[in-house]
Amino acid sequence: MSTLANQLVLAEREDVSRGVRLLLGRPLITERADRSTFELIRRRQGPLTKWFDYHCGWQLVVEPRLGYARLLKIRTGPDASRPARRPRSGKAPFDRRRYTLLCVVAAELLPVPVTTVGLLADRVVQACATDEALPRFDTASKSERMALVDVLKVLESFGALLTMDGVTENFVDSAQAKVLYRVDATLLMRLLAAPVGPSRLAVPAEELPRRFTELLPELVRESRYGGADASEVQHNLRLRHSVLRRLFDDPVLHHDELSADELAYLTSPTGRQIVRRAAEQGGFVLEERADGLMAVDPDGIATDSRFPDDSSSARIAALLLLDPLTAAPGGLTPEQLTAEADDLLRRFPQWAKSYQSQDGAQRLAGDAVRVLTDFGLADRTTGRTVARPAACRYRVALAAGSTP
Amino acid sequence: MFRFTTGERAELYGAILQAFGEANERLETALGLDEVRARLRSAGWLDDIHDDDLQDALRQLRTWELLDVVQNHAENYRTAEEYERRNLQYSLTRRGEAAIAAVEQALSVLAATGALQTAVLEAVADRLNELYVLLGEAGSSDRRVFSTLQELESHLEALLANTKTFNGELQRLLRAEGADLATFREVKAATVAYLQEFLRNLDRRAQAVASAVQRVEQRGVFLLHERALRGAELPPVAGADPAPAWLERRRARWDGLRAWFLPTDGSRPRVEQLHDVARRAIVTLLQVLDRITESRRRSSSAAQDFRELARWFAAAPTEDDLHRLWSAAFGLGSARHAHLAHPDPELVPSSQRWAEAPPVEVSALLRTSGRTERFTRTGKVRDVGGIKAARAELARKERAELEAAWDVLGTGDPVRLSAFGRLDHAVFERLLDLLGRALAARPDGGGVRRAVTSDGRVEIVLRAGDAGRAVLRTSRGQLEAPDYLVEISVPGGGRAGVRSGVRDGAEAE
Repeated sequence: MSTLANQLVLAEREDVSRGVRLLLGRPLITERADRSTFELIRRRQGPLTKWFDYHCGWQLVVEPRLGYARLLKIRTGPDASRPARRPRSGKAPFDRRRYTLLCVVAAELLPVPVTTVGLLADRVVQACATDEALPRFDTASKSERMALVDVLKVLESFGALLTMDGVTENFVDSAQAKVLYRVDATLLMRLLAAPVGPSRLAVPAEELPRRFTELLPELVRESRYGGADASEVQHNLRLRHSVLRRLFDDPVLHHDELSADELAYLTSPTGRQIVRRAAEQGGFVLEERADGLMAVDPDGIATDSRFPDDSSSARIAALLLLDPLTAAPGGLTPEQLTAEADDLLRRFPQWAKSYQSQDGAQRLAGDAVRVLTDFGLADRTTGRTVARPAACRYRVALAAGSTP
Repeated sequence: MFRFTTGERAELYGAILQAFGEANERLETALGLDEVRARLRSAGWLDDIHDDDLQDALRQLRTWELLDVVQNHAENYRTAEEYERRNLQYSLTRRGEAAIAAVEQALSVLAATGALQTAVLEAVADRLNELYVLLGEAGSSDRRVFSTLQELESHLEALLANTKTFNGELQRLLRAEGADLATFREVKAATVAYLQEFLRNLDRRAQAVASAVQRVEQRGVFLLHERALRGAELPPVAGADPAPAWLERRRARWDGLRAWFLPTDGSRPRVEQLHDVARRAIVTLLQVLDRITESRRRSSSAAQDFRELARWFAAAPTEDDLHRLWSAAFGLGSARHAHLAHPDPELVPSSQRWAEAPPVEVSALLRTSGRTERFTRTGKVRDVGGIKAARAELARKERAELEAAWDVLGTGDPVRLSAFGRLDHAVFERLLDLLGRALAARPDGGGVRRAVTSDGRVEIVLRAGDAGRAVLRTSRGQLEAPDYLVEISVPGGGRAGVRSGVRDGAEAE
């Protein structure tokens, strides 16, 4: 029986490492949308909960009866590289209208168990009209209906809204479309992950734009780390969580992005050991270098996009632009990058059709740089794009030997 | 007919027509150029205007057939100018009169504030009672009957018009366009109070009107109309006799009255619909008021959080701030990681910088061709110790055996234990282990025992079968046991082929 026990341990380890990465990639997993993944998480709920709680301080909520698993991710430094996206082929990021509508719709859905798209739209119109901080919502305009549909479809994809009859998309063409929804209020409430409820901060609407930058840190402040008079334990807890959150949520963790005590923790024997163990349990390949750390996910399941990858012209261009970028220690100006992109477009005239136009090179360079910054491989400072140390791992392998 | 209301000179045209309209009221039907000019001021046109412009405007109104020219040939004029000034007299055509009336009507509708006046209902009831009395007295004059009927009809008309405007006003109010919350509250609160008061009196008054209608009808509506017709003393019109048409109109009005208060076909009186409208309006208004009050009271419920977040999104300074807020508040974003790793990460010392360490292997095709081409993951390097490989191989084999065993045992649907028949000994051991676990579990109310393996991957459900016995054989011996109903569920559901194999075997026996 000892071999069986071994096998069980092995199987569990594999499940847990998959579960960790699946949840990192999708913090909300519903049984309805992905049964097998949900099963895996439900089965390994214990070890997964422990892993996230110990290493990242993130709560994993698994509701077997309600059929969803939610990792309540809190990011210490929220970044803009992973926006909500429109559930259409272009996957364009949400705009202000859609973000605002998403919140209004969620608030209006909470008290009603069942509703139709028309009734919901009416409630949204009223809610917007009675709140002077919100722009009016007008169902007569097609673009507004389109925005509402995007929002509803996103909520459907989360499983917070279930279509019982009709197709949401029809609302775009006609405000008279008949779509019946059931609302999953508990799931809806679980969408909010911030430890501090926004309404508790009570900021007057007219001061919002001015105080916006201080709002975000307030929103993610966690009381368990203590304030200025944090105890030794709380202090260590905060260090562990803040370092590991970044390691497991962000593509690269450069040492120069850490504060002094975070870096000290990361380079201490204890810190190292914890990081290594966490990466191993999560199924990551840990890449440790003198200038930073990287958790590589060889299966590519804990990520929303891949690099290097051939799925878009911008990504291919990003890979190719890395060469001139890493070769220039001071970074490149936008003009230089455009010239490089122009060179690419000329070398491969059959490639990147959508960029073969007047300002194509400029757009291509811009999109490529965006890919690089999103992957932590480049940085835009004072108008120049500078390669970050980790960018060197994608150098051409022969470069060291062939060029003097 | 209404072309004069649009365009650059609409105001001038409007003022001119108004001047004519006012003159008409004083029974001056024709105006000369100077008189028009004199009256323009009182019609609200304060700018200077040149004679030519005024002439132009008048000519234009003439071509639109709103004005007519009357000429006076009786006098002698020395110059053409004088002729134009003094001879040409303008007067409104019928179209012109209609246009003025229409515009005035439109303005009054726009300016009207809707109100449901219960007083109108009382007036209607009063007039009806009066008619009842008049019809009862033999000596009463037809003229009185006529004028009272006309008053009644005008009150009824006022009621209809008021209801229409009131309804419109209410809908506007419900659309909640008031940006100023304070006045919004005030107006709505007042409206609610008014509506409640109105509802309280509506029933009684509607009842009074209905019974008055009945009383009048006892005396005869036909008689009423006949007498009113006599009292009206209709002027003769060329062509047909106006009386039938007039009577027809009266009857239609009377039907309208009945429809409002006492429908003949037993349907709901329309006055009760007023009830509905008012009641619905009260509910909606109160809801809106509630919403406002609620939004002032800060509670930390989820709905409040969402509402507050909506405000934050609406106020975020830049687009990047939107995405940051999304990330902070919802935490629904994916992690992001590289997927290319070194074949053997431990070969690169961690003290090296990225610039010094060897790069990861990126598909050469991707880099050199720039064309979209599927590239494969870097090949796994079969490495270091043979022992490690052997161990891994062994582990894989054991694992595969285990998987195979589960595949054989996975039933999906409940089957009899006897259906397993002959089994491989290794598989039999797994089955025995599972049975042991299940039998150790306490049966639930339905006599069903459930158990899972220690890794939780495989679940067995055991139900007592009939009294039969099952015999399982392996290469090393045989097991005799009660013929339980067994259901074994394996992740992935087991492979159908193996399962059906088990069943086929059972049938063969």
